[in-house]
Amino acid sequence: MTRLVAQIESLSAASSSGVLLDLSAVVMLLCAFACLGSKLFDRYVTYYAIQSIVLAFAAAVVGHALGQPDLWVLAVATLLIKGIAIPLATRRFLLDRLELHRDVAISTGLSTSLILGAALTTFAFLAIRPATLPHALVASAVVPISTAIILLGGLCMVVRRHTIAQLIGWLILENGVFLGAITLTATFPFIVEAGVFLDLVAAVLIMITFVSGLANRLATASAPELRGLRD
Amino acid sequence: MTALVALVPVLPLLAAFAPLAGLRARGLGLAIAATGVGALACAIAVAVDVGRHGAYEAFAGFLYVDALSTFFTITIALVVTLAGVGSIAYLRTEERRHELDLLQVRLYTIFFALFAGLMLASLETGNLGLLWVLIEASTLASAVLVGLEAKARSLEAAWKYIIISSFGVTMALVATLFLYYAATPLVLLSPNQRLTWPALFAHAHLLEHDSLRLAFLLAVIGYGTKVGLAPMHTWLPDAHSEAPSPASAMLSAALLNTGMYAIIRFQAIALPELGRYTNRVLLVFGFASILIGALFMVRRGNFKRLFAYSSVEHMGIISVALGFGGVLGVYGALLHTLNHAIGKCVLFLTSGELVQRWRTRETREVSGALTAAPLVGGVLLLGSLAIVGSPPFGLFLSEFTIIRAGFRGSSLLAFLLLALLVIAFIAFMRGTAGMATGEQHPVDDETTASVSAASAIPLVAGLAALLLLGLWIPSGLNDLILHSIGAIR
Repeated sequence: MTRLVAQIESLSAASSSGVLLDLSAVVMLLCAFACLGSKLFDRYVTYYAIQSIVLAFAAAVVGHALGQPDLWVLAVATLLIKGIAIPLATRRFLLDRLELHRDVAISTGLSTSLILGAALTTFAFLAIRPATLPHALVASAVVPISTAIILLGGLCMVVRRHTIAQLIGWLILENGVFLGAITLTATFPFIVEAGVFLDLVAAVLIMITFVSGLANRLATASAPELRGLRD
Repeated sequence: MTALVALVPVLPLLAAFAPLAGLRARGLGLAIAATGVGALACAIAVAVDVGRHGAYEAFAGFLYVDALSTFFTITIALVVTLAGVGSIAYLRTEERRHELDLLQVRLYTIFFALFAGLMLASLETGNLGLLWVLIEASTLASAVLVGLEAKARSLEAAWKYIIISSFGVTMALVATLFLYYAATPLVLLSPNQRLTWPALFAHAHLLEHDSLRLAFLLAVIGYGTKVGLAPMHTWLPDAHSEAPSPASAMLSAALLNTGMYAIIRFQAIALPELGRYTNRVLLVFGFASILIGALFMVRRGNFKRLFAYSSVEHMGIISVALGFGGVLGVYGALLHTLNHAIGKCVLFLTSGELVQRWRTRETREVSGALTAAPLVGGVLLLGSLAIVGSPPFGLFLSEFTIIRAGFRGSSLLAFLLLALLVIAFIAFMRGTAGMATGEQHPVDDETTASVSAASAIPLVAGLAALLLLGLWIPSGLNDLILHSIGAIR
């Protein structure tokens, strides 16, 4: 156990793994911002795919630094499922089939969302200072950044009213959680992480089915039309 | 023992294979009901064993059953049984009317079975990560049930449900991560043990303060989304009103309780370190839910939404009871969980009967249920009286216990609770009394036929159980609740 703690501490210093991890986290944050500032469905999916591939890289870095083989498995699964399969499925079954291009169902302007996003990122850094994290176990920037990604994903879900944009927002949020998970709790039991992953895949499958079902029922699945159930 | 414990969730899961046997609606419904009865029997057997020999743990805490889990398992298994029997009638009617095709009936069976099995499994694990995985999986299974009728409205409700609860449950995952992180000082435990409830509970006072506080808050928000605590309740009325009625019964009486179970576990861990803070958090969310529930019940409209808002209110009451704390408060909370589960199950199954007869979900379009179908109308009226907490039904007793617990702490809060309960009483009865009494609306000739046994049994049995619990608490149940309280203090 103490060996493990020592290893985790090696991540926190200016070691090369720590730097790589910080760098990946920053790229992931930028992807979330890019998604927030875009209006094309195709771009959302692309940015999500890039973010997932970087997440896979980050998982591999942590796995390498800590010598945890299960993190390697997780990295490969992330790459294959989040980086390739989910973006492909979203493109083929939703974007191409429903012929979706521009997202018009945005409740705030792009610049406003970006400013809100910046405010949330600042908030994340203020709220999760490294000081609140005991023992300085992790690369200090990663936890606030993953919190910021979670908040940005949530913001995407709130300001976008199109079902696909909400789906991507949730996936970005989930990526933020995973980034936090691999660094904050690198020793998380593998079986649980595998279960979390399975749930994610099942959720995406069901959501894709619902979106295409909704799109068949309504001419477009954009949420302004989802007004049937109101109080 | 392991086999017996495992049977509780595995039996309902078996029903998922029933469509492979080529059964039709009737057979599939029977399969759901039969496995439900089996699960209930196993759950009671497990409870008896746990009562004798104490908590049971296997597979490094991945399987963990104590009195609290058995209490919730019995409650949920009971709901699964009632809703399963109700499903027989539901599936047969819908098939006869060609509202659902065979594929939809099969999907209903598969996802009902998954939903029930995963929920029961989530109550029997001591690993908080696995608990999260199972609760999220049961959410997904239930979302399919909500969208089953594949109309624009039900798909919309299902979408809203899945996106809001996925968001919420993801917060609960973050909570689990922070709890794990809060356990970092426990260097002697293995990584797996740091996520296992008994180990965490035993070392609760050693957990890191800030992370633990964050974990508890996020857990209340995350699992609270599942429970339907205001202001995270917005998915609940839509999902409950659009789902098939037996599935609504499962959502309201089983799923919400599973979320509450998770919150109780988190609170038990957080209590030694955070103290009264946990109670205050639960009180705030609880009162907000009761207020929102009572206010929205005043609106007349869809009666399934009325029942759904009543669920929000009752989850608020349970949360307030946990917030009052003490043996009396927790006792009231658990007793209320059981009573509400039975009562709401009965009411949602009744609403299914009403929807199938009147073919509407609007309150004002239904009247004279007592004359049109005396059994359904009678159960509607008595069930409503029970759910608003009038004597001699069980909910009166549990609400009374909760208010007594409130007066031990601050009488101001107890009076507030009492006032809100009165508002809820008036709002709810105004809706349902009008449906039961009054002139009989012209209804379809075919639908006035008498109630089938399959739909009558769960209604009458549930009502009888509520009456029994209002008059007398069996000593076995009393012991079980007291042991449950012992397990989390």
